[in-house]
Amino acid sequence: MENKKGFSVKSLMKVKELGAVIPLILISVIATVVNPAFVSQANLIEILRTTSYTVMLGVPLTFLLASGRMDLSIGDNTALGGIIAAMAAVNLGLPLPIAIIVAIAVGMLVGFLNSLMVEWLALPGFIATLAMSNIVNGTNSVITNNTAISGISAGFKAIAQTRLFGVVPIPVLYAVVVAVVGHVIMSRTKFGRKVLAVGGNAEAANLAGINVKKLHMIMFMTVGAFAAISGILYCSRFSSAQLSAGAGTSLTILSSAIIGGTSMRGGTGTVFGTVLGCLLFAVISDALVVMGVSTNWQNVVYGLILVAALIIDYLRQKSTQRA
Amino acid sequence: MAEVVLEMKNITKEFPGVKALNNVNIDLRKGEVLGIVGENGAGKSTLMKVLSGTYSHDQYTGEIWVDGKKQQFNSVADGRNAGICMIYQEVSVMFDSSVAENVFVNNLPGKGLFVDYPKLYGDTQVLLDRVGLAVNPKTIVRKLNAGQLQLMSIVRGIAANPHILVFDEPSTALTDSEVDLLMDFLDRLRKDGVSCIYISHKLEEIYRICDRVTVIRDGQTIATRDAEDWNEADLIENMIGRKVENMYTKTPREFGEPVLEVEDLVVPHPTIKNRNIVDYTSFKLRKGEILGIGGLVGAGRSETLEAIFGKTTEGVSKKVKIHGKEVTINTPQDAIKAGIGFATEERKLTGFVDTMDIMYNISLASLDDIPGKLFVDTKAETEEVVKHFERLRVKAPSLHQMVVNLSGGNQQKVILAKWLMKNPDILFIDEPTKGIDVGTKSEFYKILDELANEGVSIVMVSSDMPELISVSDRVIVMCEGKITGELDKGELTQANVMRLAITK
Repeated sequence: MENKKGFSVKSLMKVKELGAVIPLILISVIATVVNPAFVSQANLIEILRTTSYTVMLGVPLTFLLASGRMDLSIGDNTALGGIIAAMAAVNLGLPLPIAIIVAIAVGMLVGFLNSLMVEWLALPGFIATLAMSNIVNGTNSVITNNTAISGISAGFKAIAQTRLFGVVPIPVLYAVVVAVVGHVIMSRTKFGRKVLAVGGNAEAANLAGINVKKLHMIMFMTVGAFAAISGILYCSRFSSAQLSAGAGTSLTILSSAIIGGTSMRGGTGTVFGTVLGCLLFAVISDALVVMGVSTNWQNVVYGLILVAALIIDYLRQKSTQRA
Repeated sequence: MAEVVLEMKNITKEFPGVKALNNVNIDLRKGEVLGIVGENGAGKSTLMKVLSGTYSHDQYTGEIWVDGKKQQFNSVADGRNAGICMIYQEVSVMFDSSVAENVFVNNLPGKGLFVDYPKLYGDTQVLLDRVGLAVNPKTIVRKLNAGQLQLMSIVRGIAANPHILVFDEPSTALTDSEVDLLMDFLDRLRKDGVSCIYISHKLEEIYRICDRVTVIRDGQTIATRDAEDWNEADLIENMIGRKVENMYTKTPREFGEPVLEVEDLVVPHPTIKNRNIVDYTSFKLRKGEILGIGGLVGAGRSETLEAIFGKTTEGVSKKVKIHGKEVTINTPQDAIKAGIGFATEERKLTGFVDTMDIMYNISLASLDDIPGKLFVDTKAETEEVVKHFERLRVKAPSLHQMVVNLSGGNQQKVILAKWLMKNPDILFIDEPTKGIDVGTKSEFYKILDELANEGVSIVMVSSDMPELISVSDRVIVMCEGKITGELDKGELTQANVMRLAITK
């Protein structure tokens, strides 16, 4: 029976970003109570910095998910981006802008190969991009012989280590730009509309004259490009390209987007929600540290959030079906 | 009068803000077929959900009596145990299992962990013979065609030996000969003393098989009479609650030059090797003409449209001329650029985007025509969308209603609006009024007539015989992938179409 209460829960479920907002507030409050240092300026800036790195990838991934596809190779592709940029700049001595372009091009190539597998060979995206993740991970080991590449120039370091007004790390600015541009593209442009249509019903979109394969290819390559950019930022921040940069972030970023309100099934996507989701993960990892919980628990918590996000996604799907 | 096996008394079911059923009363007698007719949204499906136990007894008011006993169902299983079986329009099956496994999935014969396959196949064969469905029990269900699939779900329904059977639009995917099978089967059920409820939009079938007919409108039972006491006009009038002077609108018009010429279209059969589902087909479409394509299910009609439009390309060969000039169409984008629009048969699968609202669906094909290079000029978009939304009289509270929540007729209007906004020269429309109620059908015929008068050339595939011969200016009939004949205005009769449809 439809009683009053069921009705309000239903309408609440329609606020896509809710899944991220509630735990965000809850955890922040708890962390502050346990240790007031959580709200210190230094700590908040640290949270923002962590968030900015995942937002850079979370926003393009939101588009890919909204178009009905996913990519589990982004984590390793991130590491590859840093490695290629560092090798080009340090080992080959190429000028910094060229090194960056080469790294982005390689990231896009990985995205292109993903789209080749998923769109043209019709392989299941989940497994195909997971396989790509392994390939890229192995390639990273091979080309670096499992050692970090250091010795990058001061200019390279400045990309991520600069602080605005001496306080805010510059990646935060990059992330804000990416998020704002992403939001505008998703909600206002023809391209954004097509992404949502393709994710909602690819065949109907195809028959309406939208080139579905091309659109997916563009999305995969954009995600690849941003993985490389994110890798370059990590490399700059740590003054060296490390194999572990970005490792394991694929699922975290995917979870951020889903808990923020983007559906795994395609057809809906909210950039704002993804930013909140990224913020949530940054807050959790920080809160665990601040509250003195062993970092061993981090992955357990992350996994639980992903499960919760999937449940919310499922419930949301159910509630909109009978709206 | 035969004994009453089922009585539903004063059934009222409310949804938030809507009374879906308002004091509905029906009774079903032993060994009869009771027809239930009504427009989409009249409450037929809700009523059947009440009867089947999909809605438990505390979700509605009123009483259900089966064989003189008052029943309160909590679940579909309770309904089934009381001997009521529902056969739904949408078939849910396990595609990679055999027919036999599908039929007896709830009740596989055998001891312990093991299935007694010989008995399973034997029992299934008996049931298949009863319905008259000529397939092997071991056949994998994926290989069945739409009609066989629908008949199989009937076989599955009778496996539990119910004494009350409810058929909800059981013939949508059936060919005429399969409909005959179904009618014979219903007749035998009736003689065996089984009582059936038959819900259908197809009045022809209602007249053919039903003993009595109940009309439901706006959630209320309007009247129940013996089938022979209903004349068709009366029945329709009661269903829609007003008089219909003319179901079909047809104004005389002149046809121009050929706008579309198709030559030697070949489409390979999707499942059978070395066979073509469309086999060297050629036809012409003139400006302002409504060309109907008739034929049985599987004759290659939909496949013809899909191949011309670039929806299917694998193994397809064709020569297409538009306005006398040869064009290459490899994708739907090419077809749209050439001025073709295509409203497909499977509305939910290929017609609209279910995560989007009415407005976004209507503008979907015209996004690139809306002013603005990168951004959508929503003011211009809304203006244009509203124009078509109003012209087609889509019944919805606002443009921001989700299309999924609309009735079939209104979904089809949204799809048509999408193509009208694109302003095509040529419109393909496959089964334009499938599953749509009588009142809305009539609106569609008027719109198609208007469009043709405006110079749009239309190719319409239809299995609805009266519709095909009344709406079309000219009909080509297909059989096994070939065009077996062409009928001009004067020769358009159901008998002529049928004769050509079975000409080999």
